[in-house]
Amino acid sequence: MKVSLNWLSDYIDLPTSDPTELSDIFANLGHEVEGVEILEPQFRDVVIGKVLTVQPHPNADKVRLCSVDTGDGPTDIICGAWNFEAGATVPVAVPGAILGEDFLITQRDIRGVTSNGMICSAKELGLGEEADGIMVLAEDLPIGTPFVDHIELPDVVFDLAITPNRPDAMSMVGLARELAAHFEITYRVPSPVLGDTTGEMDLRVDIEDDRCRRFVAREVRGVEVRPAPTWMSQRLVKAGVRSISNIVDVSNYVMLELGQPTHAFDRDKVADGHIVVRAATEGETLVTLDGTERQLTPEDLLVADIEQASSLAGTMGGLESEVSDSTTNVLIECASWDPPTVMRMSRRHGLRSEASARFERGVDPNLPPLAADRMAEMIAAHAGGSIVGGMVDNYPEPVEPQVLSLAISEVHRILGIHLSRAEVAGLLARLNFAVSPGGRGDDDIEVAVPTNRPDVTRPIDLIEEVARLHGFDNFPSRVPTGGNGGLSAEQLRLRTLRWVARGAGFSEAHTSTFSGHADLAMLALPADDYRSRTIEVKNPLRDEESIMRTTLIPGLLGSARFNIAHGADSVALFETGKVFFNQESPELGTVPDQPDVFSFVAVGSMGPGDVAEGGRPVDVFAGMALWRSIVDQMGLGSYEIQQAEIPGLHPGRGALIVLEGGPIGHIGELHPAVARAFDLDGRVLVGELDLNPLVADPGIWSFAEPSVFPSSEFDLSFDVATTTPAAALAAEASKAGGELVESVEVFDEFLRGDSKAVGLRVRIRASDRTLTADDVADVRTKVTGAVTASTGANLRGA
Amino acid sequence: MQLEIEAQRAAANLSLPMDELEQVATSAPSLIGAAQSLEELKAAETELLGKNSVIAQKRRGLGGLDPADRPTVGAKINEVFAAIQATLNDRKRQLEIIEENVLLVGDRVDVTVPHVRSRLGTQHILTTVMDEVSDIFVSLGYQVATGPEVETAWYNFDALNTPSSHPARAESDTLYVDFGDPADEMLLRTQTSPVQARYMQQHEPPVHVVVPGRVFRSDSLDATHSPVFHQVEGLVVDTDITFADLKGTLEYFARTFFGADRVIKLIPHFFPFTEPSAEMHVSCFVCDGSGCRVCSNSGWIELMGCGMVDPNVFEAVGYDPSKVSGFAFGMGVERLAMVRHGITHIKHFFENDLRVLGQFV
Repeated sequence: MKVSLNWLSDYIDLPTSDPTELSDIFANLGHEVEGVEILEPQFRDVVIGKVLTVQPHPNADKVRLCSVDTGDGPTDIICGAWNFEAGATVPVAVPGAILGEDFLITQRDIRGVTSNGMICSAKELGLGEEADGIMVLAEDLPIGTPFVDHIELPDVVFDLAITPNRPDAMSMVGLARELAAHFEITYRVPSPVLGDTTGEMDLRVDIEDDRCRRFVAREVRGVEVRPAPTWMSQRLVKAGVRSISNIVDVSNYVMLELGQPTHAFDRDKVADGHIVVRAATEGETLVTLDGTERQLTPEDLLVADIEQASSLAGTMGGLESEVSDSTTNVLIECASWDPPTVMRMSRRHGLRSEASARFERGVDPNLPPLAADRMAEMIAAHAGGSIVGGMVDNYPEPVEPQVLSLAISEVHRILGIHLSRAEVAGLLARLNFAVSPGGRGDDDIEVAVPTNRPDVTRPIDLIEEVARLHGFDNFPSRVPTGGNGGLSAEQLRLRTLRWVARGAGFSEAHTSTFSGHADLAMLALPADDYRSRTIEVKNPLRDEESIMRTTLIPGLLGSARFNIAHGADSVALFETGKVFFNQESPELGTVPDQPDVFSFVAVGSMGPGDVAEGGRPVDVFAGMALWRSIVDQMGLGSYEIQQAEIPGLHPGRGALIVLEGGPIGHIGELHPAVARAFDLDGRVLVGELDLNPLVADPGIWSFAEPSVFPSSEFDLSFDVATTTPAAALAAEASKAGGELVESVEVFDEFLRGDSKAVGLRVRIRASDRTLTADDVADVRTKVTGAVTASTGANLRGA
Repeated sequence: MQLEIEAQRAAANLSLPMDELEQVATSAPSLIGAAQSLEELKAAETELLGKNSVIAQKRRGLGGLDPADRPTVGAKINEVFAAIQATLNDRKRQLEIIEENVLLVGDRVDVTVPHVRSRLGTQHILTTVMDEVSDIFVSLGYQVATGPEVETAWYNFDALNTPSSHPARAESDTLYVDFGDPADEMLLRTQTSPVQARYMQQHEPPVHVVVPGRVFRSDSLDATHSPVFHQVEGLVVDTDITFADLKGTLEYFARTFFGADRVIKLIPHFFPFTEPSAEMHVSCFVCDGSGCRVCSNSGWIELMGCGMVDPNVFEAVGYDPSKVSGFAFGMGVERLAMVRHGITHIKHFFENDLRVLGQFV
């Protein structure tokens, strides 16, 4: 809401006009100041003139020769604007005037005729963007007087962001009330004087829908539609509202002044003098003021006559019933509407207006009579005509001030400051809350809340008002501490996991939670793959963001691609985050399965490198190295790497990672076709593992006494089928060797035609004695026998 | 003749050997010092102590001496021998050092050449900020809680005193997903606050908890808005928590995160789930309040929303608002990072450009 300080001063005598001080005060009252405009006149020596005659220029077609009285009798001025005729009151820059910084107006010869000054447009005077025509002013301005006297400059305009709970602050009077509470001074509410009225209103209003809480109408007959007075249109311009005509401007003026949106109909277009407030019917249409034909539904609330809809309640008027230049009789509507109804209507039709912004918040239902009188008074004053006697007031359920009981001890319990009952009562009274002793105990007060404050319905809301007026700056500070805090084992281990991944050369990424069907198609997943169980976003921003991700891999590949496109040779990224899976008929109230995963991708090369080479080319083993680092650094214990064909991965370079509880994910190289789909060259490492088993609390590590006896080591080399995993040989050896086996490592592997050679290094040690030659021979025999028997391997050199 | 020979022998055995030994002892140091390599030193050693050396000859001739003279001459031989040996050892050590130094000179490398690069990854700045904020509150005794990102409208809105008519629930603001019963109005949480409600349902007061996490809005991407972003939420509930506790806690946070000289101000505001509500502003850490680009010349940076937990929220989760009170606050992680590090566009948090990631570790 844009607030002119000059206008505001009609309602309150402020002790300061300092913009910074007032900004701070508005902010501390809860009305955030988004901007402050200091307005100064952008001209000098512009006076009010009256156009006496308008004639064609003898030597030019596009301009006209005007005779203008600027207080010293007729003088000739050439003007290029065509939006006025003889009789118009206009601002005239006389010779010697300055527009803007330094544009000096002088007598000029224009095609053989001397022009003694310039008739100005709003833009030329720095009063708005209107440049198509000159400013046509109200007729009653005294000729020859300085124009600046009529437009209230200089001025300060505050742009306030009024919070959605404060309809009362969406007006000049409401803000005057706020400032009066702050300064502890009085403010003035307009009290319209209607004078003599003519006749009695003859209008029937039926409220057929309870979403209309009140409908007040007044009538002014015999008006003349013309421009509003200059001071009024300038106030509207400062408030960001376009000046249209005296009737429309008065309607907007009263809304900005009092906070009550009003509507002016052409009375003669109301069929049978009968207004019906009703829900729209399905398929009904209404052409609104902006010329758009609106398709209506029963959700829409209408003001109609008995024949057709006249306006969308509280949102926008209809074109047909609008006040036009030929209107002579005006019907004034001041109504109170159900706030959610107006909110939904304005959103459904894309019509956010000053009126809907107020009705959405909830306008005081006791405001319409004052607003209707004020509007009638101002129309009569600025459009002529006479006010018709009486007022239609259809108010099915009058709203009374709500009385709340507040315990003073509650103020202390919530705010932490000690205020006496008198202090609390005093603060609330400043806001026109009527305070009286009462309630359950000595400690209580009873507070009648004005009906313009729909946000105050509970004692806590009164406490908020007390805090606000006491001033947040005046509160003490205290720091409470908890007794049972700290990071959980899982949270600490997540940090360790990230540390291990960074140590292995992977940088942490954050990718979008959204994905698209195209991403999953690029991964070449079968329809029955768990990652195809997607959840759709109902109102996605873009097609590429229409589903919740079931895997982090496409996002990470996208980031890898981004980096390659920006010149990186190698990229290694990891991310921990949620994936989301759909399921058949979940129980009511349960959210979808959304586990966290740890995922990584790498392209190019990784690990320590030298000047010549940037490290080891990325392949599946870089992923296995990361996995082994995780196992070692996080103490994961036993695990299994199972060669497997995984959708989307290279058929011969993928592995399932299996912990004691089962598979937790996969590591492998992308299938080359998938890599191409993601526009990536070379081998692409990807991995995705369930996060929970990695970070689960392992409990307390238990100590194993290291043996003091020496170890013994022997190597075995086997020939085995290429499809037999070396890990199977090692696992068999470890099992067969018994408790003496300390470790079995694969130390060598190479292909020999149809088979491959696998070298195992077996280290044995006893905890209680030095090994004998027989021990070594015994283990060697057992290991060899078991490995050859179970894997079909042959001991080489045997 | 015989006598003369005898006399000569006597002189050779007694007086001459002493002179010669003396001579050897005197000349040995310069001979040894002249050796410029371990090889030359070996030759000098052979000359001085080898089997053809004067000392070896004298030692061999010792048996022919008058027994009375033998101890004297023998002692002299040993003395000279030991002295030469010591000088040889000294020179040997010197030459070893010299020769090693020559080797080291040849072994010189250009240490500025990165022959070995161990390439480590970096931590994402959002993680760093979330951990840092969490840790500040952990140091005050808070726990860290997390919750679902796809959430029911009940936890995201209803439990937080945001009725079904509230504009924030419109599809223009909130992203909804197609899952389960339509009655659940399953959505992408618009704030981390639903975790508050879940946490309070599962824990009795006192509550001291901080909630970092990802949140979603139906916002198009621009410099400061993204449909996906992060928040850290805080909640404290106990029997004696007041607005003063909120103020003190946020002051502590601002000073720990932005520096000890920071001051804060609380401006009244409106949120459905707190009453009273406030916006917290911190004095600009760049200009110290005098006005600069970072704070848009206001001297203040708006950092978060906060307030006293609305009684309706307590009732929704089964707490008795007449017995407990509490405060809550929530801040945008991207905004914190952008303000503190001068990051110009929110896209930089999600593009994962290595040139950006590498700036924060």
